[in-house]
Amino acid sequence: MKIGAKLHDKVDLGILLPSILLAIFGLLAIYSSTYNHPTASGNFDKQFFWLLISFGVMVVIYFLPPHFIKMITIPLYSFSILTLLLVLVMGKTVYGSQSWLGIGNLGGQPSEFAKIALILFLAYWISRKTTEINSIRDLAVTLTAGFLPIMLILMQPDMGTAIVFGLLTLFMIFWGGISLFGLFVVLSPGIVTFASLFGTLSLVITLIVILAILIIFKKDLFVSATVFVVNIAAGFFFDYLYNILQPHQQKRIETFLDPNSDPLGAGYNALQAKVAIGSGGLAGKGFMEGNQTQLRFIPEQWTDFIYCVVGEEFGFIGSLIVISLFLIIFFRLFKLSATTSDHFSNMVVMGILILLFIHFAINIGMNVGITPVIGLPLPFLSYGGSSLLVNMSLIAIALNIHKNRKRYD
Amino acid sequence: MNDNLFGSIVRRRILSIIIIAFTALTVFQLFKMQLLDNYSYQEKSLENSVKKVSIPAPRGVFYDRNFNVIVSNKPAFTISILPSEYNTQQNKLVENIMNVQEGYVSNLLDINRKYSPFVPLKIKRNTDFSFIAWLQENQELLEGIDYEVELQRDYTFGITGSHIFGYTKEISASQYKIKKSIYDMGDYVGFSGIEKTYEDLLRGTKGYSLNLVDSRQRTIGRYLEGLEDKPAVKGNDLVLGIDAETQLIAEKLFENKMGALVAIEPKTGEIIAFVSSPQYDLSKFASVTSGFFWDSLSTHPSKPIFNRATQSIYPPGSTFKMLAAIAALDDGIINERTSINCPGGLQFGDRFFKCLHVHGNISVVEAIQKSCNTFFYQLILKIGLERWAKYAREFGFGKKTGIDIPEEISGILPDSAYYNRVYGRGKWTRGFLVSLGIGQGELSATPLQLAKYTALIANDGKSVEPHFARGYIDNKTSEFVKLPFKEIILDIDQHVFDLIQEGMYKVVNVPGGTASIAKIPGIDVSGKTGTAQNPHGDNHALFVGYAPSEDPKIAVAVVVENIGFGSTHAAPIAREVMRTYLQKDIDQNEKLNPIAKKVN
Repeated sequence: MKIGAKLHDKVDLGILLPSILLAIFGLLAIYSSTYNHPTASGNFDKQFFWLLISFGVMVVIYFLPPHFIKMITIPLYSFSILTLLLVLVMGKTVYGSQSWLGIGNLGGQPSEFAKIALILFLAYWISRKTTEINSIRDLAVTLTAGFLPIMLILMQPDMGTAIVFGLLTLFMIFWGGISLFGLFVVLSPGIVTFASLFGTLSLVITLIVILAILIIFKKDLFVSATVFVVNIAAGFFFDYLYNILQPHQQKRIETFLDPNSDPLGAGYNALQAKVAIGSGGLAGKGFMEGNQTQLRFIPEQWTDFIYCVVGEEFGFIGSLIVISLFLIIFFRLFKLSATTSDHFSNMVVMGILILLFIHFAINIGMNVGITPVIGLPLPFLSYGGSSLLVNMSLIAIALNIHKNRKRYD
Repeated sequence: MNDNLFGSIVRRRILSIIIIAFTALTVFQLFKMQLLDNYSYQEKSLENSVKKVSIPAPRGVFYDRNFNVIVSNKPAFTISILPSEYNTQQNKLVENIMNVQEGYVSNLLDINRKYSPFVPLKIKRNTDFSFIAWLQENQELLEGIDYEVELQRDYTFGITGSHIFGYTKEISASQYKIKKSIYDMGDYVGFSGIEKTYEDLLRGTKGYSLNLVDSRQRTIGRYLEGLEDKPAVKGNDLVLGIDAETQLIAEKLFENKMGALVAIEPKTGEIIAFVSSPQYDLSKFASVTSGFFWDSLSTHPSKPIFNRATQSIYPPGSTFKMLAAIAALDDGIINERTSINCPGGLQFGDRFFKCLHVHGNISVVEAIQKSCNTFFYQLILKIGLERWAKYAREFGFGKKTGIDIPEEISGILPDSAYYNRVYGRGKWTRGFLVSLGIGQGELSATPLQLAKYTALIANDGKSVEPHFARGYIDNKTSEFVKLPFKEIILDIDQHVFDLIQEGMYKVVNVPGGTASIAKIPGIDVSGKTGTAQNPHGDNHALFVGYAPSEDPKIAVAVVVENIGFGSTHAAPIAREVMRTYLQKDIDQNEKLNPIAKKVN
């Protein structure tokens, strides 16, 4: 056997290398967008420091013994809930959201670390031999496990991360083998909520459609009635939800429906981001040469709008390289999930895949103007210590599973 | 296969499809934005980041005839607010430091509410440097407030010249409509005086700089290192005929007096000195004209804005006697030997027109010298109204002189058409003429017209239309370019001028002349006094004259309102002005006479 093949057997380079390349891409973009910025010029150094820390953590996680990860899921989940509670009590407010916890200069966002905890916990719970996802009881436990952190995160409030947790939970249930009716039960309140966004008429129509579907499923009257009542409640819950949103978050929803309505307000970032990417052309304006980026047209560009820097300075080619690197990671994770017969590992790998994909889709989508502007970082590229550390840890967990794939049963 | 199974093929496919579909959509969007619509995004990006800032061109400065600067430019700070960024809670603080009344800023913001909040609004010109210093210290606190350095007129060279130079004003909306290609809103244009007449020469060409701005339109660098910038081109400097020293003396002599003085170089028509008194402070117009200042000027009883040298008309009185003499001599009605008897006045119809003395038999030269009214009462009856008016017209009365400032009126030169219009055909008599012979009656002239008339007499009927600007210094070649003005050549016999000049010489230099006070040791002065009857108060004092008599270099007309005799009040002013101008020709050892001492 060749050395390379041996190395590949130990480490999935198709997952590791694209992640590192993306992080380097991110460092370049952060360097460019903060280079002549009065307050953010130290961000490159900080990110570089966090990348080094991440490598250290990755090595530790990679060498963790098999089953260790599974063992710590419940303590990790409990600890996460605790930190999310703690952050509400004594967290630091950053950009209007109380999501930051720290001692001195060290600190991070508990909601980022809760992502790992939730993936591991749901994987553990759903893959338990005794768990029947299609039973009301086990489904309720699964949903509760998912919605507990969501409620806590909404109270910070951090809408973007809450959406990620919601989608992640739904996907884990979906992957865990929920029936079509079960999926319908889980999804329909969300659909009703979304429909109520567009007014009373669309809410009523949606409720009628849901009633019709319930009749087609021919479940017993008690179950059908319960589902319908939950759906009606969801419709009214929306009103409450909308009111607890911050005005700028409400504005974001409105701007998504019509981005040109407020070109210098909430829609400003979205428009400027499109101008930055669009003006990049085929090969881009060159590193450090993007005027939209260098002239600071997009506030805090190194966080949620980092993809614009790539689009403007490296053009269509650079944009495609980033997308391709993500696709390689996604399909290697797909492949990894197929090669593990262990349900827990499979669930974890798919959780990692879906978490990265949600961030990828929403972040790049809002950069190119096809999804609403929801404050979510682009994995590996966006500035932010916790985010980078968590994403690298997730990669390390995947690598650990890859290394031990033959030992799991 | 049961698709309810954990991680089934169906679920795997659904997920793959979602990932692939989303990625395809994103790539398509990128393709559209970066490759298909790249051009329009690039344009938007450039618009975003490059701001064109126009650079005002400094106006040309004014030089006097000896190339001394008499009006220049100085930098002044203008404060502006960018409403989109400005926090109105700072109003009070800003108003306090700027030392303006409460509500000043909010009021301005209110008035301009309908304009774009992304265009800076000028709120105060000519701001104290202390405010700029404070602004720079507190820039962090005061987002949206900025200042720029603008140029404004500097009048600190000693000459007031308010009616010569005129002032500039922000362009009006209607003017802007017509001249959009040249001006921007907020630009200053010449509004009166020379500033207005020579606007095109003085204006220069505005430049611009292309600046890189960030999202808040704050300049953070230069576009292409300033390669595409266009510098402003300064306006052409104007060289005036004004003699700074003479002008200064003339202005001093008119302090606390109302009236006007115009001094012209007879050969060239260039104006050497020009005063309309009282004057006003042009520097107040250089910054923002406050409503209060304008009101106080326009309602002031002595009307300082009014240009008395070109817009105020006075009966020329005895200074007009030469005109009748010229008409009569040139048309052969009299000759130098013709004498008329002065018994102390003229009985015409039922009215007796008085003379100051009994002059007995008197010739035309003597009549001028002694200012005999009787001679001229009789003379004009011989000449007739039409002939008299024809000569007066040739000397420029009853019409504008065409001087190169916009403020001028024609005066009144009565002829039969005029009387017919005013009184009706056949409703006026020859008796009306008698007063005209001595420059009274309905005849009215501006001091400028009198100066032009004097210059023509002094230079034997040849001169150039009176004007301030000799020429300009071309801003590209730095060469002096002479401006053309219309020549005036009167078809009058030289002999006539010789006689008139003799009379005027005698007025000053022969005992019994009325203006011996105008004598300048070492230089021969010729002139004629006048005292115009003023039904509203004391008489206006007049004097017209020129020097040196043999080769006139300066011709002066002086009118002092409500003060009395011309010989006492107007002649000394003219003398000092002529003396100052001709100083270099005068023996340095001459004794200063009492009035000169007072002036110095």
